[in-house]
Amino acid sequence: MRRTLLMAALAACTALAAPLTAVQAQGKITIGVSLPQDDNPFYIAMMRGIRARAGELGWEVVSVSSNEDKLKQINGVQDLVARGVKGVLISPIDATGVNAAYDAAAAGKVPIVSVARGSTSPNQTLHVAMDEKQIGRDIAEWTAKSIGGKGKVAMLLGPSGAPTFRNLAEGYTEVMGKYPDIRVVFRNDGPLTRERGLKNTEDVLVANPDLAAIYTANDDVALGATQAVLAASRKGKTLVTGMNGVPPALRALKEGNLAMTVELNPVLWGRMGVDVLSEYLKGSKVEPRVFIKHVLIDNSNIEQKLPK
Amino acid sequence: MVSGSVSSRLLGQIPLLTLLVLCAATALMTDRFLSPVNLNNILVQSSIMAVIAIGMTFVIIGGGFDLSVGSTAALSGCVAAMVMLKAGIVAGVVAGIAVGALVGLLNGLVIAYLKVNPFITTLGTMVLVRGLVFLVTGGAPVEGDHGLPSTFVGFGSTRFLGLHALVWVPIVLLALLSWVMHATPFGRHIYATGGGREAAYLSGVPVARITASTYVICGALAGVAGVMLAARLQSGQPTAGEFYELTAIAAVVLGGAALHGGEGTLYKSVIGVFIMIVLGNSLNLLNVDSYWQRVAIGVVIIAAAAADSLRSRR
Repeated sequence: MRRTLLMAALAACTALAAPLTAVQAQGKITIGVSLPQDDNPFYIAMMRGIRARAGELGWEVVSVSSNEDKLKQINGVQDLVARGVKGVLISPIDATGVNAAYDAAAAGKVPIVSVARGSTSPNQTLHVAMDEKQIGRDIAEWTAKSIGGKGKVAMLLGPSGAPTFRNLAEGYTEVMGKYPDIRVVFRNDGPLTRERGLKNTEDVLVANPDLAAIYTANDDVALGATQAVLAASRKGKTLVTGMNGVPPALRALKEGNLAMTVELNPVLWGRMGVDVLSEYLKGSKVEPRVFIKHVLIDNSNIEQKLPK
Repeated sequence: MVSGSVSSRLLGQIPLLTLLVLCAATALMTDRFLSPVNLNNILVQSSIMAVIAIGMTFVIIGGGFDLSVGSTAALSGCVAAMVMLKAGIVAGVVAGIAVGALVGLLNGLVIAYLKVNPFITTLGTMVLVRGLVFLVTGGAPVEGDHGLPSTFVGFGSTRFLGLHALVWVPIVLLALLSWVMHATPFGRHIYATGGGREAAYLSGVPVARITASTYVICGALAGVAGVMLAARLQSGQPTAGEFYELTAIAAVVLGGAALHGGEGTLYKSVIGVFIMIVLGNSLNLLNVDSYWQRVAIGVVIIAAAAADSLRSRR
């Protein structure tokens, strides 16, 4: 009996405390952020951009972690909405798998903006996207030109099912299909880790010692691939392309180990997400899909891109 | 009677036979498989997992289970890299292995003295340690501004007596620990503990201390593997080692160790590792779809376990 009373008292306290914090937060706009991973350099940088821009606007940022677990992301967004945030920036783990998170935001009348990855949910308020297929095409055009329009190519794609990586690969294969002398000899799905890039590339180079180029879904995979290429004394002969333009990749590019990467500038992306949300909250009209621009980095422009 | 012992000895070599059949089949399908470069790749790719599997064999023979080895390897690799950048290679390597042993000690104390189920305990440390990795690294790879010391990185790519330096680690460890496991009272105590705790206790084996020490060995070896991983990836990677625990357990079972404890041989666990790695390597060489690769690996694990259960039923 005493125990039940205690529990009831506790519950009452938390119930009272919740609206209190909401009232306290009213002076300041608080937004919630839910990214797929908090350990990936790309999202760490995006988070930095979000915090920086929000700080300039005098906003407060609350983030929830999900680590590629869809249920955790849904729960996290529900918690944010329950907390009374004014808007949510989300990079959904999956295009449909976390639609419940968007429903939760809509139910709480909180705008939810997808950054980078997008969702099929009708409740997605806005999407700050990259033109994935176009990036895939651009990488392929660059590669085809660099290898003289002929040779064997391997493709190390991203995790199965993630639409971003499917779209990138689709754009890439579309362009490569136009070159009759270029042949894709290997393609597989896998995690975006350096270790996997290293292992896969070691195997691919055994099966195809004359490989001309390796497409990788991101810089981590690319850095693993360059290591294997170096070990096989194929530096400069097997070109590795990456994606994202993280600092270690830029260093590898400078050293000539990585042939090309695509700068998406996640910091800028995070800032843009906040800006778009801010416009929306002010009531201005914003396009439902805003594209962030991408820049190919190779040895022609690496000097300007190196971190100072 | 004679034929019976021959057939049972043959059954005991199922892991080795599986590996040979796998190699022969792949070699027939692609001539690249037996090329020196590829054989070297297989040895290097197996080396890290072999070290983890050797540690796992200690725990499993002792009647336990350790799910935390992958996270521990990641923590050790990152700590080694961080310490190395500040205090030199030796300090980094020692710190990495010590961190692994500490995690093992934590597992061992909780399991042996608090008598918490090993599956739950190590599931807990698996998550806890992964959290620690992200806390100490801030989630970003550890490689300093100019990379890890070149002598250390070189260890991940140079050769010694014809073999890749990393490959020597499991060879030396296997020789040393096989002697510990199969020729010392300590080793006999581990088998006795895993074979039956109660009987071992009654015959004077310090069961709790033996159990705890198997986890310390396993943790320290996961630490060694983490340091090797840092050398191979030329950085401390906080996300490294995911699912290593499952591959290691599968390899140990493929090598004929019994999950209920008391049975197993260290070198056969290493053969189990080779089966897993060669399988992945050959499917990659043959450009088999990555989805089918998963199916194939699952089938092999179940088939090996089934073979093992057929053997023990005799």
